[in-house]
Order: sequence, then C-alpha cells, then structure tokens
Amino acid sequence: MHTGLLGRPLRRNRLGISAAIGLLLAAGACSRGPGGSAADTSAATDVARLERSTALLQRQLELAGARDFYLLLDPAAPDLTLMLRGAELRRFPVLGLQVGTPRISWFSRRDARAWQGVIWSRGELDPPRPIDRIVVTPVEGGKPDEAAEPPPIPPTAEELYPVPSRFRVRFSGGLSVEIRPREGDANAGSFARFRAWWSAKWGDVVAAMRSSDRDAVRLRIVLNPKDADSLYRSLPPAVRLLVLSGGPPQP
Amino acid sequence: MWAGTGYRYEPYLEAPLEPPAARDRAATGDRKQAVARLRGRERQLAARLKSTAPRGVYIVIDQTHNRIYLKRDDDTLLEAVCSAGSGMVLKEGSGKKRQWVFDTPRGSFEVLSRSENPVWAKPDWAFVEEGQPIPKNPTERIEYGSLGEYALNFGNGYMIHGTLYERLLGRAVSHGCIRVGRDDLRKIWAAATIGTHIYIY
Repeated sequence: MHTGLLGRPLRRNRLGISAAIGLLLAAGACSRGPGGSAADTSAATDVARLERSTALLQRQLELAGARDFYLLLDPAAPDLTLMLRGAELRRFPVLGLQVGTPRISWFSRRDARAWQGVIWSRGELDPPRPIDRIVVTPVEGGKPDEAAEPPPIPPTAEELYPVPSRFRVRFSGGLSVEIRPREGDANAGSFARFRAWWSAKWGDVVAAMRSSDRDAVRLRIVLNPKDADSLYRSLPPAVRLLVLSGGPPQP
Repeated sequence: MWAGTGYRYEPYLEAPLEPPAARDRAATGDRKQAVARLRGRERQLAARLKSTAPRGVYIVIDQTHNRIYLKRDDDTLLEAVCSAGSGMVLKEGSGKKRQWVFDTPRGSFEVLSRSENPVWAKPDWAFVEEGQPIPKNPTERIEYGSLGEYALNFGNGYMIHGTLYERLLGRAVSHGCIRVGRDDLRKIWAAATIGTHIYIY
C-alpha cells in the first residue's frame, strides 16, 4: 500500500487533492458568478441600458404615432418639449427638477408605482384655464352703423389668462407635474408671498392626507417665469408625458 | 400632526439599472449577442422615430399667443404674429338653432391647396354675423381681396391667408383661419408647398 507525505494512504490523499481542486474551481466559478467579472458586469449593464433605451424609443414611437399632444421631459438636457406626431412644437428649458412624495407626520408614503419609462396620459391643467366665450346673436337686417364706435380690440393671451404662481398638470393614475416659475413671487409683497406659501403648504397637506391616489407621485419642474406662463396658457388638453432616460447634468 | 405633513421633494435621479446579479444569468457569449441584437434594435427604432419628424419645411402655429413659425428641421426660418380664432360663439337669431364657434382647430394638418389672389366664398355665418339675409345666388357670396394675396388651404374651410386688418395681428380675432401680415405671408407662400405639414397647438 502506497502512503502519502504524512503517512496517510495515498488514495485518501488523492481524494483530498481532488476535493481541494473542486473547491478551488467552485470558488472560481462563484467569483465569476452571475456578472462577477468586469467584462460580464459591463455586458450585463449594457444589456440593461439598451433594454431601457429601446423601451423608451418604443414609447416615443407610440406617442409620435398617436393624435394626442405630448410632452417629453428630458432630465439630461434638461428640457420639457411639447410635441405632436414627432414634431417639436415648443421647447422649455428646465431650471430645476425634483420628485415629490406625500408624507404624513414625517412618514413618507413612498409609492411603488412605475412612472419612469411609462406614458403618463390624460394630463389636464389644475387649476383649469378659464374659457370665456363671447356669445353674439346679431339682429337680422341690421346694418353696420357708420357712426358707431368700432368694436373694442380683443385682449391678448397675456391679458386674457391670468397664470397662477404655481400650477399642476394632473395625469391619470395619481401622477402629476407641478410647474413653478423660478422666483415667481419675487416681485410680490411679503404678505402676498406668505399667502402664496400658506396656500401651497395647505394644499400639500390636504393632498398628502387624502386617501385617494391623487398626486401619489409629483414631479416639480422649475421654469423661467415667461415659459411657465406660456405653458399654462397654451397647453393642449389631454396631453401625455414621457420621462426620458438620463439624470440631470452634473454641475 | 401638520408638522411633517405635505410633500417631501428630492432631486430627480434616474432609476438605477437592474443590477447584473438579478438579471438573466446568461453566459458572457450570450450577453454579447444580446448587446449586439439590442444595439441593432436601438438603431432601427431611432431611425423609425426620426422618420416620424417632419422633413423639410413645416409650419407651427401657437394659437393662444397668435404666433406662426416657419421651420426647417431644427431651424426657425420665420417667427411672425398672426391672428387665430376668436373663440366667439355666433347664434343665428329669429328662432333658428344654428350656431358657430370660431375656434382654430388644434392638431396636425397639411397644405391641401394653394391659391394666389384667393376669392372668398362667404359661408352662411358671414351673412348671419352681419345681420344680412343669406343669398340664394352663389355668386353673391363671392368676395375679392379680403383674404390677401395668398391662401394655403388646410381643410374644412380653414386657411392661412392675408388680412385687411393688420393692426389686429397678435390678437385672436379670426373666425378660425390663420391671418398673417402681407410680408410674412409672402415668405410662407414661397416656402410652403402642397403637403407641407402644419401643426397647431
């Protein structure tokens, strides 16, 4: 009978070596693991990134193929673009972008619903833009009176539609966007600023405590005051929205 | 109770990619194939998306602010004031039930026909608005000069045309058509052809 270095039978020693080799191989396999090596991790990350990118392109194609107006929020640019059928209608530079979640007594009601990479639909302004239509019923046989005063010049959109200091676009499924003009109330007096702050704070408290899923996820977008006003005055009804990929640019 | 109640705002962060460990456990070769396949798909989708955007010259109209833009790709060739629909409601008197709403339609359109020195075949509402009887003879509906030098028809009686009332440009005073000043209309006429896209929001 052959013996090994420690006088143990060689057969047992061979078994031990085989077991050690097996363990080493298994350890090696584990260290490579699912995505263990740098190359594997990189390939898997590429797959994940490309899957996200293609899914977003699919969503954009879906939006461009429909009749509805839509907004593309690009956090990387960062900008908010009003689109229709693949055509860019108006681009608004985004000055600030935050994600708001409701909380009650410091406890956050973080919502697990998907909002990135999905299409938000049926967006409507809140408060709604007032529509003040003039109704005319002319007198039959009436001739324009030469001596009468000419009809008044109608107001412009800026004169016609007052824009609230902040407003929301509410989408179905509890998703909403809050638009705030940067330093929108800088010119207001301290009492007006306090009133605006209190009104917003109270609105937030009520919204957070509401059991319905309204405003479960709220994106806050800061725009130039002129852009915020323009968006409020001209946003078409039933707008859709897609948040594109990418994070905000690093300072 | 109210303290700490409301909304907590945090800076926007992109959702993290799913970590590789949780993803498919395919071998490296398979992943490389998947990357190649997805890159091809990404290129294909990007090309399809690009093809949805208008090619060449197109027109964008902001009817709220009464602005018209002539664009080519990412370039704005012209920005001008215009007049869109007033939103007024006209009701026919004498117990008749017809009414008209003078809105400019929103959406995507294209130039269907072009005309120089267009004549206007006045519709019923034009007579009702003036309190005049609606003529039986079609020739009595014809009016010369009120649409300016050119008209681009984009369907359902809506046109981009000139106006006699340039002082009202920038205000919503039309019956739904887009009125443009003479000099700007000439530029739009020169650039737009049949099939040119018009987007109104």
